[in-house]
Amino acid sequence: MNFEFYLILESIPKMLAGLGMTMQLLFLSSFFGLSLAILLLLMRISGRWFLCFPAFMYIYFFRGTPILVQIFVIYHGLPQFEFIRESIFWSILREPFGCAVLALSLNSGAYVSEILRGGYLGVEKGLHEAGMALGLSKHHRFFYVTTPIAVRLAIPAYSNDFISMIKATSLASTITLLEMTGVARTIVAETFAPYEIFIAAAIIYLVIAWFFQRAFGLFERHMSRYIKQ
Amino acid sequence: MADLSGWWDDYLWGAMTVLKVFGVSLILTVIFGLIGATAKLSKSRIAQKIAAAYTVAFRGTPELLVLLIFYFGSAITLTGITHIFFPETPFVDIPPFWAGSFAISLIVGSYATETFRGAFLGVDPGVVEASRALGISNVHTFFYVRIPQMWRLALPSFGNHMLSMMKDTALISIIGLEEILFVAEMATAVTYKPFLMYMIVALIYLSITTVITLVMMGLEKHANRHLEVAP
Repeated sequence: MNFEFYLILESIPKMLAGLGMTMQLLFLSSFFGLSLAILLLLMRISGRWFLCFPAFMYIYFFRGTPILVQIFVIYHGLPQFEFIRESIFWSILREPFGCAVLALSLNSGAYVSEILRGGYLGVEKGLHEAGMALGLSKHHRFFYVTTPIAVRLAIPAYSNDFISMIKATSLASTITLLEMTGVARTIVAETFAPYEIFIAAAIIYLVIAWFFQRAFGLFERHMSRYIKQ
Repeated sequence: MADLSGWWDDYLWGAMTVLKVFGVSLILTVIFGLIGATAKLSKSRIAQKIAAAYTVAFRGTPELLVLLIFYFGSAITLTGITHIFFPETPFVDIPPFWAGSFAISLIVGSYATETFRGAFLGVDPGVVEASRALGISNVHTFFYVRIPQMWRLALPSFGNHMLSMMKDTALISIIGLEEILFVAEMATAVTYKPFLMYMIVALIYLSITTVITLVMMGLEKHANRHLEVAP
């Protein structure tokens, strides 16, 4: 039982092969998740109960249950129904990749929508009234006054959520996908050196998380460039 | 619903296991968080560096990976150590319950470290100076002056950490703990009703997280009761 550094060096290139899959999962599900989040946000701020209530229930369900359980419900659970196996979505839901993207998107949609709502509610009321006083229409007020400020306010929380999305992609390995954690688990099964391999994987995840953290930091600086320090 | 009839007690047992993991992790998380926050606020450079490395490493690594490192890593280490003394033993491991609880509390503890640190900074330094002026020892100041005041500030984010801890417990089924996800898997193999069985798991988690949210709301109200304006 000795710690072998060469194993870390040897396994990193193999795991980088799984990095592509991790990135695909990350970008696809954060894109769909963000779109869903915007839709949910619009439903919640519409002020109509038949739109508010379903959005609220959706968010409540997806924030209250573990993402692993959501992945299992979608991957193992949905094929139970005949009508899903005969629908056009079956070609996506048959593949573990499609299921993972679906589960991660649905999950991140719920979280991100709450973040966006926080940003929306953080916009000062006076600005809205000023826009009204200037005679801007309702849509103009939303797109040119509220949205840019809400986006800036939401960035820090969104970057946190994005980092947890990176971590959540590792759960796709539980439904046989060979992304980075999946590759690491197969290598461990061959070499039986869990410390070296898993720590190498952890280092790669840390580097990715650090990279995105920096990127979001720069984006936030760009969005608040007109604010006096 | 008829499919569920034979499985209620299994789900109940699974839920009890989940709650046990949650209870153990909660205690350990508070301990790790307090140690981490104290280290971050201490004057010692080394303690600060170690605490910083701890929070960076555990907040940036996927929870699943930490769990796998703990479970398989500890198994390898323990087997290696026992082989020195008893060469015949085939394989030794930490029970998944303890490996899992420990891993989860280290992860959530790294988040709690930041929360507690912020809360300690939020306590008025004058209060600490006052207790020192009264001749109260450092240990007593920590437990009777700083913690009760910091707790109120830490509660809102700590409630969120508790929710994510509850949801992380689902991961322990991957290293072989017999909790509700495991029950669902077994039930599926018998009844061929995967959607129903996994949905029950989701609803159990949903009800537990709802209870936690309500308890936290009550605690926050209790902690802030002296700030309420008299009617």
